[in-house]
Amino acid sequence: MAQLIFITGGVRSGKSRFAEKRAASLRPTSGTLHYLACGQPSDIEMQKRIARHQHDRASANVPWETVECATDIGSVASSLNENAVVLLDCVTTLLSNELFQKENWQDELFQQQTKQKIQHDIEKLNERSEALIIVSNELGYEPLSGLVDVYARQLGELHQWIVSKADEAYVVENGIPQRMKGEGV
Amino acid sequence: MHFVTGGAYNGKTKWVKNFYGLTEDHCWKSAYDQTKIPLNVSRFYGDVVVLEGVEQWLKGLTAESGLEECRAIWQSLLGIWRTWESERHERTVVIIGTDITKGIVPMEKEDRDWRDLTGWAYQDLAAVADRVDVIWYGLNQQLK
Repeated sequence: MAQLIFITGGVRSGKSRFAEKRAASLRPTSGTLHYLACGQPSDIEMQKRIARHQHDRASANVPWETVECATDIGSVASSLNENAVVLLDCVTTLLSNELFQKENWQDELFQQQTKQKIQHDIEKLNERSEALIIVSNELGYEPLSGLVDVYARQLGELHQWIVSKADEAYVVENGIPQRMKGEGV
Repeated sequence: MHFVTGGAYNGKTKWVKNFYGLTEDHCWKSAYDQTKIPLNVSRFYGDVVVLEGVEQWLKGLTAESGLEECRAIWQSLLGIWRTWESERHERTVVIIGTDITKGIVPMEKEDRDWRDLTGWAYQDLAAVADRVDVIWYGLNQQLK
């Protein structure tokens, strides 16, 4: 079974950078690095954010292959090389893309199905790859209600599931990764 | 007394059930099922009693009293639960509370009051607890 690594943290905490370094260090000499980007460039700020991440990867001296994939990440699995290292960035955008693409996010069955679909897609990717690195964001620690509560519940349950499967799990704060699970680097 | 905290949907309940090997028959009082705070300890049974979702009971308190008074009520509640616990060596009261204190300042005064009280109440609880754990997606970090 392929390695599974979970990396989370606040915005601008340096979690993507850490994830990219960890991915590069796991790459077999002949292997490909796949960057699975779930973000959609919905406004100028988002475009800049994506451009900055692209620039970071381009200048990293490592052969990244970017795949834009806002939903259905499992569909990428079949096109992966045998010993690929895959970086999924990130669960939060993937979940909101999947959960809010239609109007039925309030339907509890749909919420469950969405979570299960993402779990299934992650398993598919993990089976095909040498290592799968999953990036996500820390949840809010505040009173929750309505749409945010629905989203937080699915995200929290997904995180619990990923951490339980993961070989390593980290929280990155101020650029410093704190290992929560596994032997680490 | 054992305080278990962490963000919402981090698997606190599951962790407690696992840690204490709780199966079907145990005394579990949840604020998500009952709005009344379990004051009547004569209804407690077994060695491990779990009080879940205390942040909701704290919210209920803020609706009726000022913050100072709420905190005093909370401290006497802790006293009642601790007294029950200390009657027998095997007893443990496990208190699960969601951390709602790290987000953006809420717009509504009621939510700000609730959040403030929760912060103080958790400090009081952690001070008297024998053990404190923070749960992060199913993994525990023991603070005390």
